[in-house]
Order: sequence, then structure tokens, then C-alpha cells
Amino acid sequence: MIGLGHYLLLSGFLFSVGVIGITINRNVLKILLSLELLLAASNLSFVAFSRFNGDYAGQLIVFFVILVAAAEVAIGLAIVVLMYRHFSTLQADQLKDLKW
Amino acid sequence: MFPIIHWNLISLELLITVTLVGLIVLDILLPPETGKDWTGLISFTALLIMIGFWSTQRNLSGETMGGMFIMDSLAWFFKGFFLLAMVFVFPMTRQFLKSLPKWRNEFYFLLWLALLGMCLVASSGDFLMLFISIEILTISLYVMTAYLKSDHHSLEAGMKYLILGALASGFLLYGISFLYGVTHSTGFAVIQGYAATHAMNPTILFGLVLIFAAIGFKIASVPFHLWVPDVYQGAPTPVTALLSVGSKAAGFVILIRLFFGVFASWHPQWSSVFAPLAALTMCYGNLGALFQTNIKRLFGYSSIGHAGYLLMGAAAGSILGASAINFYLLGYLFTNLAAFLVIVLFFVTNKSDEINDYAGLATRSPLLAGVLLLALVSLAGVPPLVGFFGKFTLLMATVQSGLLWLALIAAVNVIISLYYYLIVVKRLYVDPPRVNSPIPISSSMRFILWMAVAGIVGIGIIQGPFLEAAMTAAKGMCFLP
Repeated sequence: MIGLGHYLLLSGFLFSVGVIGITINRNVLKILLSLELLLAASNLSFVAFSRFNGDYAGQLIVFFVILVAAAEVAIGLAIVVLMYRHFSTLQADQLKDLKW
Repeated sequence: MFPIIHWNLISLELLITVTLVGLIVLDILLPPETGKDWTGLISFTALLIMIGFWSTQRNLSGETMGGMFIMDSLAWFFKGFFLLAMVFVFPMTRQFLKSLPKWRNEFYFLLWLALLGMCLVASSGDFLMLFISIEILTISLYVMTAYLKSDHHSLEAGMKYLILGALASGFLLYGISFLYGVTHSTGFAVIQGYAATHAMNPTILFGLVLIFAAIGFKIASVPFHLWVPDVYQGAPTPVTALLSVGSKAAGFVILIRLFFGVFASWHPQWSSVFAPLAALTMCYGNLGALFQTNIKRLFGYSSIGHAGYLLMGAAAGSILGASAINFYLLGYLFTNLAAFLVIVLFFVTNKSDEINDYAGLATRSPLLAGVLLLALVSLAGVPPLVGFFGKFTLLMATVQSGLLWLALIAAVNVIISLYYYLIVVKRLYVDPPRVNSPIPISSSMRFILWMAVAGIVGIGIIQGPFLEAAMTAAKGMCFLP
């Protein structure tokens, strides 16, 4: 029998993959993908809680989150395009001018 | 059955939205080569009208949209705060955009969007509303940070801000999902009811830590401060000013509402977390600022230091602590924005943010040097300026809550901060100028500068009514236990 715990475990796994992906990846597109994983993990846990708590507010929240995620990734990709035009690279560790 | 919407409660936000949409339409209708900065002029006029409108909302309180939107004294105070911040940011933007060949008007739309987001943050009564309004604010700030498309510092700052900001909103959302799972609701009122009757459990604690991470990102507290120096240096200066005042205050209004209101019954647990965080944050900020050569980066570290002072009020956990945060932020608004006005005006003529280029500013422009001197000295906390009295109230709240060690660390930090602020003052007044050309300032900018000076000196001398307003804001907050 699959219960709430299993869903939360999966969402926790997704979330950790996202956080680890952001910390170890050097390619900004992969970092953006990992950021999407964070929001997907939260969505999963919202839906799981909503299903097992028996109220629908959680599923409603997911729609809003999908919308916000779309806005965020749109801005993210726009900045990535600008970055590629300017630096001709997608490696995040090339961004090192701002340091002392 | 649908809840009744009280339109008068959300009228300020509606007005902002209408202005924003109106400006976009106007921008399409006006011919592109009108040659005048209409969007800036209309924005500023609309802002002044809105401040008048805001002052009529003083006694408005209540909730609407099923508790999603609340209006109380705290929200009123902070909405005024954000409008006032914009009074300085709009003229700064106008000066700054002179150096841009095109794409000027879009910047004002983004500023209005950020203002809308900040006002909604101050009024949110539900975690869903909170998440959406924070995203409205942050996403418009991402775009503004990366606004100078051909400047690689701006792009780099935008990229870094986006990655870390999106990480913070991921944390916030994941934390909310656990609170929702345990309490079966995202409304502040229901969650407060849960907190009052239950002890803290590990699931809730996990959610709260994640939510605090997102707030810590906004207010630039250690260990979520990594973005601050880079983004402050790379972003266009008006955006840096908005980040250092508006975005930080938006973080603190959530912090006050959540930890002084909704979760107040768990006060002992979180107070013991805030006190060491406050100490670490102020030490990090003030030590990091010591050897900076770029003035915007210096202000980035100084802003981390001030987040540490402000967290002292949160660690105090009393109503006096919350009032002290409100009052300190008000003083910080005038002081920091005065400094950023000078930085913008200096940048427009000299195209530099290096502290060494500020040498001999006192002979080139006595007004700019004087205003910057006043701002720096007030940030360091020298009486009778507003920075001194703000620090005094924060320290008083801390000592009253029995955190004497924290107050002592703050006192040491004030001394450290004097060093790097006075280094800049030495550049301004002692060092000989490299170029002798005077810096032209238009009479409207002179007026704005004098307004900031009036705030720094005026609130420092006549603290009474302002402290009272800060007190009223904290005492009349919704969800107060």
C-alpha cells in the first residue's frame, strides 16, 4: 500500500536532487533545470498532503506554483541567452568578475 | 458561497495596478521620439497622489478575500514606507537612465511592479498570497538587476541573483508545503490557532527553518547573504538602492508578522536561534566591509551588518523589539537612500563607483560630499542623527530581553563600522581631488537631496511622533497573541 510517507520520500528525494544539482553543476541550463526540480518537489508534496488530508486547497496552490515557475524560467532563460551572447559560454564559473 | 470582497481595503494595490497598466498603454500610444521622459514624470506625480491616498487609510483595518488579504496598522506603516522609498528611487532612476540610449520606460514598469509586490507582501494573510507577492517582487528585481544588457557586471549579478533567489523561493515553497501538511491550511489565522494549542514538532520545525531561509535571503542575514555583495555591486544603482531598503523591509515585515504574531507562542525556541544569527550577521557584514574598494560593494556589506542590528530586535522578541525594527528601518530608508542618491549623481558625471575616485569630492561638490558624510555618520550611529537613535532603541529592546551579550557585540560592531565609514569620509574631505571639474546637480535633485537630509536630521532630533508611529504599527498588528 502506497501511503503519504512514500510520496513525501519521493518529493524529498526530488528536492535533494535539485539542491545538489544547483551546488555541483557548472552549466547554467542544468542549474535552471535543478531549480525547476525544487518547485516540482514542492508541488508533489502539496498534492500528496492535499490527497491524504482530504482538502483541495493544496491542489489549487499547485496551479499557482506552476504559473510562477513558468515566469521564473522565462526570466531565467532570457538572462541565459544574454549571458551566452556576452560571454560565449554557459559555464557558471566563468562569472567571476565580481570578487575581491 | 463566495466571500465578500471589501474593495476599500485593497484600493491602494488596485490604484498601483491601474497606474502600471495605464503607463504601459501610454507608452504604446505616445510616439517614440517625443523626447521627454513622460513615463518618469507621470510615475512621480502618481506616486505623490498615492501617498496622499495612503494617508487617508490610516484607520483602515480588516481582512478580505477569505483572510488572504489583511489590512492593519503594520501593513499601513510599511506601505507608506515602500511609497516613501519610491519617492527617492524614481528620481534616482531618472538620473541613471540618462546614460541609457533606449529602453528607458520599461524600467519604470518594473519599479511599479516591484512596488505592487512589496505592498502585497505587507498585506498578505496567507502563505499562498505571501509566496505569490514575494515572487512578484523578486522576479521584477531579477529583470532590473540584469537590465544593462551590455554590461557584464550587471548580467553576472542578474544571473547570480536569479539562481540564489529561485533557490530561496524553492525553500519557501517546500517549507510552506510541510506547514500545510500538518495544519491543513495555509491561512495565517488557522496556523496561529494550531501554534497556540500545539507544541513544536519536527515536521513544523523543518518547514519553519525552510521558510526562515527564504526570509533570511530577503533581509540578507548570514548564512543566506552570499548574493549580497555581488548583486549590490553589479546591479544598476537605483536597483541596489531598492534592494537595500525595499526588499530588506519586505523581508522584515514578513518576519515581524510571522514570528511576532503567527508563531509567537513558540517564542522561546526561535528567539534562541535569532540571537546568534544576529551576532554572526553583524560581525560578517562589518568585518567584510573593512577593505572594500567599490562603494556599492561596501554598502552591500554594510547592509548585511545592518540586517544583523535589525535581527537583534527580532531576537528580543518583545513588542518593543518589533517597534525598534520599524523605527530603525525608517531611519535606514532616509540614510541609505541619501547615500545612494549621491552615488548615482556621482556616477552620472564620473562613470565610476570606486571609492578612490571620490577623493576630494568636498571641493568638487560640497553638497554631495556633505550629504554623503551625513549619511555615513548616521549609518555609523553618531548622535544626534537618526541612526544613533535607531540603534539606541534596538539596544534598549535587546537589553530589556536579557540579551546583554548581544548588545555588547553590537556595540563592538558599531566601533568597527566607524572605521570603514570614516575611511570614505577621509577620501571625501582630506585627499586631494584627481580632477577639479565641479559636478552639476539640477535643482530638482537638490530638493530631493535636502529632503533626505531633513529625514536624517529631523527624525534624529524629533523622534517622538515617528517612534510612536512605529509603536502603533507593531501594537495594532493582526495575529498578535
